[in-house]
Formats: sequence, C-alpha cells, structure tokens
Amino acid sequence: MPLPIPIPPPPSPKQMVLATEDWIEYRTGFPTLVRKFLFRKVPPTGWFHTLGSSLLTVFILQATTGMLLAMTYDPSPNGAYESIRYITDYQTLGWLMRGMHKWGASMMVILLFLHMGRTFFYGAYKYPREMTWLTGSLIFVLTMAMGLTGYLLVWDQRAYWASVVAVNINGTAPVLGPFISKFLLAGPVFGAQTISRFYALHMLLIPGAIGALIFVHMWLVVKLGVTPWPSRPPEEEVELPQMVESV
Amino acid sequence: MADTPAGSHAHAYTAPQAPDSAVTRGQFLTLSSVGLGAMIGAVIGVPATAYVLAPLTDEVKFEEVNLGPTANFTKESGFAPTAATYVEDPSNPNTSAGLAWVHSTGKSNTDWLASDAMFVVFSNRCMHLGCPVAANAGGFACPCHGGVYNTEGIRTGGPPIRPLDRFEWKIENDDLKLTNRWSVDFLNGKLTYFPVKMPGQPVDLGAPSIVNDHIPDLLYPNVTYQHGAVPKPH
Repeated sequence: MPLPIPIPPPPSPKQMVLATEDWIEYRTGFPTLVRKFLFRKVPPTGWFHTLGSSLLTVFILQATTGMLLAMTYDPSPNGAYESIRYITDYQTLGWLMRGMHKWGASMMVILLFLHMGRTFFYGAYKYPREMTWLTGSLIFVLTMAMGLTGYLLVWDQRAYWASVVAVNINGTAPVLGPFISKFLLAGPVFGAQTISRFYALHMLLIPGAIGALIFVHMWLVVKLGVTPWPSRPPEEEVELPQMVESV
Repeated sequence: MADTPAGSHAHAYTAPQAPDSAVTRGQFLTLSSVGLGAMIGAVIGVPATAYVLAPLTDEVKFEEVNLGPTANFTKESGFAPTAATYVEDPSNPNTSAGLAWVHSTGKSNTDWLASDAMFVVFSNRCMHLGCPVAANAGGFACPCHGGVYNTEGIRTGGPPIRPLDRFEWKIENDDLKLTNRWSVDFLNGKLTYFPVKMPGQPVDLGAPSIVNDHIPDLLYPNVTYQHGAVPKPH
C-alpha cells in the first residue's frame, strides 16, 4: 500500500497576497523600501506637520489634471482660447478638470506658504536640515514659475496682458533682464511662439524639475527625520548673566 | 632578490615602477571616460542650448501696415487722437495686432519729422510695463499702474520711464501707412528717436538715432531736458 500523499490545503487569500509580495520583494526590494519609507519613528506631531504631504497631494492632483487638460488643449495663438472654451463648455466633465487645475494651483501656492511658515517657525531649516530648506526654496521658486507660465495659457485678455506685464517686469532686471524677457517670449516681442514656449515650460521643464526636487526633498525628510516641536531641554537652560551693581 | 628576507619562499614580485609624473592606467581610463562623456554631452547640449537661446539675439522688426484713408484721421478737434488698429502679420492676428493713436495736428506737411507734420502717431504701449494706454483730452493714461502722459506722449506722472513710442509714417495714395516704430527719449535736451526697446527698459543711447529738433522747444521753451527726467510744465 503506498502511503497516502497528503493534499495541501488551498492557500488562503492572505497567503496569496503574502506570496505575491515575497515574489516582488525577492526581485526588486520595493516592499521593504515602501515599509521603511512609511513606517518611521516620528516625534509628537500635529496638524502643521500635514502641510508637506498636502502639498505633495496637490502636486499630484495638478500633474494628473494637467495631463488630462493637455489632451484637449491647443497651445497655439489661434486655437488656445477656443480649445479652453471647448474644455469648459462642451467636454464631458471638462469644467471639473479645469476647475480642479485652476483652484489646485491657488491651493498649492497657499499650502506652500503655510508649509514654509511652519518650517520657519519650527526652526526646521537649521542643522542638519539646511539642504531640505534649500530644495524647498527651489520648489517654491519653480511653483511661482508654474503660476506665471500657466496663467498665459488661458489666452484671454487678462491672461495676455498680465503676461505682457510680467515679462516686462523680468525685462527691467539689471544686465540679464532683456535676455530673460526674450527667452520667455521666444523673441523680441510677444509672438506666435510665445505661447508654445510657455506651454513647454509649464508642461515639461518646470514640472520635471519640481518632481526631481520633491524626490530629493523627501529623501532628506526620511533620512533626517521629522522636526520635533522646538523646545529647550531642561539641562540646556541658559544661565542669565549676573547683574553687576555698578559702584 | 636582495630585498627578500632570508628564509622567505615568496617570489618577490615588483610591479614595474612608472615614473612619478606618469598617469596610472586607472586614472587614464577615468579621465578618458569623463572626457568622452563630456564630448558626447557637448555634441547634444551645445546645439540644444543654441536652439533655446537663439531668440535672445533677435531684434524688434516692424512690418509696414496700412491704416486706411487719411480722411479718417483728420476730423479731430482739440486733442482727441483717433484709435487705429492694425495687424502686422495677417497669419498671426492674435499676436501681431496693435493700436496706434493718430493725432491730427491740423497742419499739412507729409514729412513725419517736420515741425509742421500733419500727423503725430503714438504707440499705445505704456512705457512702464506695456499695458495699453487710452487717449483723453489731456494726453494719455494707462489703466494698469497709473502712468500719465501729456499730449506729446511725454510722461507727466506715474511709473513710466520714458515717453510713448512713436511711429514713422508716410502717405501713399492718400492712405496713411506706418513704416517703422521708434522708442523716444530725451538726449541733450532734444526729443530723439531710438531703436525700439521693450517697456520698462531704457533706450540704447549709443544706437543710431534721429533727433527731433522741434518738439521740446515748442512745448516748453525754458526747460532743459535731461535723459529720463520728467519735464514740468509751467
């Protein structure tokens, strides 16, 4: 009589998930990476510590809605306004995508200022987090540049004249000003190529740079840890200088 | 074998000694890789940079435009310039459109630089940051940041840094045609026409220019103008 071979029970759903995770883990190491990123020790935190992740969320929202809008938008002087009108008035849920992109832009700038204020008042820019502050400052400048380049793309009268004024403000900077202005306009005056140049800056160059800087920024946050609420440990209390009575 | 310690069975191997100044094999390969990489980068990067920065060398050009019959502009009484819109490049009406304020002086000389020229044609581009100015009985005013100009286009208030640009014009077959655009500022007390500069940027005082002899003297005979200074009517 051959020994009966026990039939293993079918794997449970949990085991299947774990097996899949192991399969990925042995080949890429990503599950460990994600676990180390998400499960970190943090000091006591509050709502102010959520501003950074809110910013990341809004950035992802902007990137997503931006990609969707780009599927319909026509960055040409003769087609831009009509394509925006089509998105807003005719395309299914176009008004929602455009609205989220527009209000998300304002939200990103507001959150950015709040996040920067939190960093400043917590003293989170100090050693060893100077590089986090510097990369954040670059993201701040680039977000402003996103606002400038995106504003023109609506291509109505307000967008046009606001961009004329903004480019001319750049032009008044000493020495480099006229070159910056010509670089932005793709020529000496507002021309047919200006809008496509703004579009390329708004769509590809600046968001790519922001994405790369966000990666560095978050790498530093994970490496250096979250800044605790600033407080002075009791053993480091500063002794006040003794008052000396003048004779 | 003189350096081998007594009793040692090791075969002493001495690497061939290179002269001190020579580069090692590793250093040579490192430098070659970096240098080759830099060359490959330059082959792509230099033309790409030139492609992006080429517009920096472009200068403003003006295409001649026809504003229509002169009779449309001569019905003016007092100072009430006629707004004339034009399109420089018909294939790009949205980016090459402009507006000129045509002031009829009531005189008849068709030479645009003469002291009794029949028209003075102002650009509507504010010299602060480029918003469109509107004409009124006292001159021009800008809605954006409050720039004010008198009837000669000379700044009398607000942030603009120089007078309004002017157009060179001619009359052909009784049509008023704009042939060129000039930026205007004072040089040695004379209103002078310079190659066009963007709003907010000073004119290039060294560039070839045309001196307009009559305008400041006609307006304010006792005022000596300095470059960039604001003339004060008395």
